[in-house]
Amino acid sequence: MRANNFKAILPTLSVDSIPFWEGCDKESLLLQCCNECDKYFYYARRLCPHCGSQNMVWKVSTGEGKIFSFSEVCISFFGPLWDDQLPYTVALIDLQEGPRMLSRLVLEPGQQPKIGDRVDVIFVEVQGKKLPFFKL
Amino acid sequence: MPSVSDEVVIVGIGETQVGKLPGYHSVQLQAWAVQNALADCGLRTKDLDGLINLDPYVTPNSMFSSTVAEYLGIKPRFLSTIDVGGTVTAMTMLQQAIWAIESGHCEIAACVYGENSLSVRSTGAHGLDMKNLLGGEEWEDPFGVHGLLTPYALVAQRYRHLYDATDEDFAEVAIVTRRHALNNDNAQMKKKMTLEDYMASRMISSPLRLLDCCLISDGGGAVVLTTRDRAEKMGCRYVRVCSMAMRSTHNSIVQLPDIENFGLADAAQDAFDAAGFDASETQVALLHDAFTISVLITLEALGFCEPGQAGQYMRNGHASMGGRCPVNPHGGLLSQAHIGGMLHITEAVHQLRGTAGRRQISGARRAVVSGNGGVFSVCGVMTLEAT
Repeated sequence: MRANNFKAILPTLSVDSIPFWEGCDKESLLLQCCNECDKYFYYARRLCPHCGSQNMVWKVSTGEGKIFSFSEVCISFFGPLWDDQLPYTVALIDLQEGPRMLSRLVLEPGQQPKIGDRVDVIFVEVQGKKLPFFKL
Repeated sequence: MPSVSDEVVIVGIGETQVGKLPGYHSVQLQAWAVQNALADCGLRTKDLDGLINLDPYVTPNSMFSSTVAEYLGIKPRFLSTIDVGGTVTAMTMLQQAIWAIESGHCEIAACVYGENSLSVRSTGAHGLDMKNLLGGEEWEDPFGVHGLLTPYALVAQRYRHLYDATDEDFAEVAIVTRRHALNNDNAQMKKKMTLEDYMASRMISSPLRLLDCCLISDGGGAVVLTTRDRAEKMGCRYVRVCSMAMRSTHNSIVQLPDIENFGLADAAQDAFDAAGFDASETQVALLHDAFTISVLITLEALGFCEPGQAGQYMRNGHASMGGRCPVNPHGGLLSQAHIGGMLHITEAVHQLRGTAGRRQISGARRAVVSGNGGVFSVCGVMTLEAT
């Protein structure tokens, strides 16, 4: 599927996640990193889920990761308007910095992902908002 | 080790018809299930002084315990609405009922689940629409994931990768469960399933096919508990809950741990330790089977077989009627109906008191019920024993 044909339900932002989605709009994948335990985490929140510290900072991720698992979605869970998206592939991705994130893969014709494959972030614009998808 | 009082026992169980029941809302379905459970043990609604229920997922409603209590015409001394997830919700209802009765807050409590998930959904819709703030709107929907099916597909793909599992492993769960359902008159699915049927069923979210997925159902199930003393006086056959344990490791697919780190094995360890027996000493297993993959992972986590061996274990017939420990003799969520797993508990009671009819497992004395809500997010294990 060509990147400009993607559909997406746009995120409902919370007070925690505004920096993350603003980063995406600037084509930068931001992750929170804890200053006390030095661990990264995803998704955005007001405390470090590893140690409970509230002393954390946003850092730019390399945007590189490996596929932990994937699925080719063959029916629409978003009604008939999504039929033109089918099939599409979603994946759980282990980012180089540690966190696991859920995203969607942008595949070239004939590309077949495997668990363990290396992927890189690619920002896809949908209705004026850039979303962090990944490519092989 | 979490212990459970043996002074409170299960005396009654009830289930409604299942399938498509137009015109029934959750209120009527829950009332119907409670009425059947009371009738099962010779009680009347006026005897009930405790009510614990589920707030329906598909039509969320505030104050649903007093809603159903009012409809039944009862004035309970103890009310609660529980939503932990999947069959763990039903287990937690029983746990709360035991605590409430043991501590004198009520004497006879009904635990009830019921909703009209099938008839309420719009024509042509896929999956079940459930609201979950962290799972849904921000970290899943923008990436094309909605509901629980694709999350389970991601788990299934991971399982196949870790253990070289095959279509045949998944198919066996669907086929055996369907065969069991054919012994249950109150099951939505009435037709035999073959490997060819399974392989011909369409891919929904790879590697899960249509026949890997549970049913969506209207219906209800209820369990009535009271003190052992009262049960003795009533002169009815009762069943004891030996233990219950749970673990929560995450909520949404976004935070999924790897399969070996799911909370199910730890919950099972606690539940079996507290009960004083393990999986090999149970004669029937009621395993939450929202998808075929759930059964494979659960058989391994509970210790019925080694990691990666569940497909072979199923093919050897160990989980079939007549096998070592039949799994879901009622047909489960895959082929009877998805009533939140409450019918896993009513089936355990049927089997242990010998009222399961033509699907009765002879000599069933101990049962294990497993559950999970979300994507193995909340895992629970309960053991029960005949008395």
